[in-house]
Amino acid sequence: MKKFYIIVLTLVVLVAIPFSCKDIISSENLFPLTPGNVDANAGTWKSISLVSNSQIAVPAPAATNSTAYLAELASIKDIQNKLTSDQKNSIAYWSVGGVLRWNQFFRKLVAQFNLPPVPNADGSYSFADAENPFGNPQFPFSNPPYAARAYSYVSVAMYDALKGAWYYKYQYNRPSPYVVDNDIQALMPKVDLPSYPSEEATMSGAAAEMLKVLFPVAVEEITKMAADQRNAVLWSGKATASDIAAGLNLGKAVAGFLTAAGTGRFRTDGMGASIGTPALWQQLADDTKAKEETPWVSLDAPARPPMLPYFGKVKAWNLSPAQIIAERPAPPPSTSSEQMKQELAEVKSFANNLTRSQLAIVHKWADGVGTYTPPGHWNDIAEEYIRDARFSEVRAARAFALLNMAIHDAGVACWDTKYFYFNPRPSQLDPTIKTSTGIPNFPAYTSGHSTFSAAAAVVLSYLFQNSTHYFDSQAREASISRLYGAIHYRADIELGFSHGTKIGSHTVTFAQIDGAN
Amino acid sequence: MRPTFVFIILFLLASRASGQTITDHLMMPKKDFCSGFLYTHEQWKDYWEGAEKRDNQNIGIITTSQIMWVGNYGLSDKINLIAMVPYVKTSASGGTLTGLEGIQDLTLAIKYALVEKEISSGTFTAFAILSGSTPLTNYTPDYLPLSIGMASTTVSPRLTVSYKLSSGWYALASGAYVWRSNVSLDRPSYFTDGNIYFTNQVWMPNQFAGFYSFGYNKKALQVELNLTQQNTLGGGDIRKQDMPFVSNRMNAMRLGVLGMYYLPKPKNLALRAQVSYTLNGLNVGQSVAVMAGFLYTFHFGKKENQ
Repeated sequence: MKKFYIIVLTLVVLVAIPFSCKDIISSENLFPLTPGNVDANAGTWKSISLVSNSQIAVPAPAATNSTAYLAELASIKDIQNKLTSDQKNSIAYWSVGGVLRWNQFFRKLVAQFNLPPVPNADGSYSFADAENPFGNPQFPFSNPPYAARAYSYVSVAMYDALKGAWYYKYQYNRPSPYVVDNDIQALMPKVDLPSYPSEEATMSGAAAEMLKVLFPVAVEEITKMAADQRNAVLWSGKATASDIAAGLNLGKAVAGFLTAAGTGRFRTDGMGASIGTPALWQQLADDTKAKEETPWVSLDAPARPPMLPYFGKVKAWNLSPAQIIAERPAPPPSTSSEQMKQELAEVKSFANNLTRSQLAIVHKWADGVGTYTPPGHWNDIAEEYIRDARFSEVRAARAFALLNMAIHDAGVACWDTKYFYFNPRPSQLDPTIKTSTGIPNFPAYTSGHSTFSAAAAVVLSYLFQNSTHYFDSQAREASISRLYGAIHYRADIELGFSHGTKIGSHTVTFAQIDGAN
Repeated sequence: MRPTFVFIILFLLASRASGQTITDHLMMPKKDFCSGFLYTHEQWKDYWEGAEKRDNQNIGIITTSQIMWVGNYGLSDKINLIAMVPYVKTSASGGTLTGLEGIQDLTLAIKYALVEKEISSGTFTAFAILSGSTPLTNYTPDYLPLSIGMASTTVSPRLTVSYKLSSGWYALASGAYVWRSNVSLDRPSYFTDGNIYFTNQVWMPNQFAGFYSFGYNKKALQVELNLTQQNTLGGGDIRKQDMPFVSNRMNAMRLGVLGMYYLPKPKNLALRAQVSYTLNGLNVGQSVAVMAGFLYTFHFGKKENQ
């Protein structure tokens, strides 16, 4: 029997070890934000989408000795006296910085809506329809180009709105409630920043209004998120009801300016025409055949219409349409050329000899269906650098705006390239090539991952110059992952990468003269 | 105890590709060692996306084949030690996704005969079993449905009761609670069950594993009808047109028929086969599995008798 106990004990110990840490999962990577610098001059930084940071009028606040304001202070004290643990959790949640929280939230929405339509019984597909967002398929299908554009609009709206908030903060110089009244506790980290209009309320208005247009099905969740942020800042003693109301109006007005029917940039940037028509899709194939090249065909089963073939015509942030055409990479190797045969053989060799560590790289960067996409992955990478830099909210918003403008521009320019050349995937030319990740439903040349990642790395390298090497190595890994996965040729990733580098530099050029340096 | 019974044990051990069903009413005698290889071929075309059954031309038919080494040693007449190691290979007939293959998880179990009692014209037995499994290789669990396993380390306490008539008819019920450890992905973030997670660690919901059988076993022949139940106690559903995810709520009820023939010669060699079919499920494929294999019993303690 002694043996029996020893064996049981050994088994129990061996199996118990991995369980001792079962419950430690936490995806909390953030901590309370105390900015290194409040960026008092951010009201003078160049606006991206507005004529100026004072374009949206914010009326002067009531004086801090007015009856109305004193009533607001009394109400904060009243709330602080009976804070529930849920309210305290909300305050803690938002203390890490609203810009980082909203960025996490829109990565979540992208992942949630990144599902392609299910084929109909007859093998056809229906399109996600903004006019019928709750239908089947629901709107949107937040694929990489949709996501790239979405991240950029939300980031730009938040950034422009916050610069407006900074402009008025220093125009009116109303202190935080906890500064005016010593009986009010500061339950978020103290920031030496005027509180009217509240920066949290400003970003909540801008972000929520943009997101409601981009992800209409999630309206309830978005509205709650925004209200929670405003409540948290009120309960924390950092802003009064009037600070918050002014910020909310400002943020909503900036988003409203971007999304105004008929005139807003969001409505007129060409996205509405990016799907095209069956006749136009056929034209893409015919044009490619006319060049004596093999045209791309969808490898989805049943074959799916190409993903947003006219996204390459959508307005970019920091490149003109002429620049997009001028910088378009040279043609890929002809589908009938010796070089293409060699490239195909290289893809096949990776497909057949992939190591476990190469597979890990493929899956690290796959960012396919149901994920936050490659643009989201780069926001994820940026998060910890922005956190560690202890940027003010407005500077954090700038970082995400710059990053996502470059990523959007990379998407536009890459899609222009993809549909200009309409080049087949390796598995189309050689159906024996098996892939270790899904083949995206658009042409091969150039690689979207390579273009997105190179552009993102250029911007992050500009913002965080000590980590240039890291961003470059991550971008190169993202790029090569597509060759390892056997879904791209070497030409796709190499030319995509250098293209992305150029695209990113246009945003850096903007950043160098935006007044924030 | 007859080697046939030993073989039943081993067969039942191997009756699922996951290798987690360690259920039966039989024990190896002291110092007997039984070992062999069992081959399983499992296929499905339809699967449950959440609760909705569908097929998917982008994967076509998923085939999982597995060859598993099994060993069972009688430490005493009341205590058996069991080990299993499968090699698994997956493939998809449609689309472009590559299959994977490799050595999967080591399963170790200790089985203790708690009660054995004659009641009217039959025997009631109860067993306590503790089993555990852990991946032997660094395979990825994040490539479903073509991953070779879940890559989770598990611990399962199990209780089995059975009643066998002297005529050879028997019935058995067995249940286990399966604790599953977190698993690691190769990616830094994932979305499941309505939430996004900014970590590569995935919390795995625990499972209930049930096994119920009714059969006849006398002399060289055994036939049995059995039900294998897997209930995952949490986890999200596969959303429309999404990929499956390792922590999905994967439930299944499978019906199996097994037949066994104990060879007159060579002595100690047994052949066994089973067919099983998934009756219903959630977030799993509706599979048909065919298993066949052989096992050989060594009588280390009984040389003087042979």
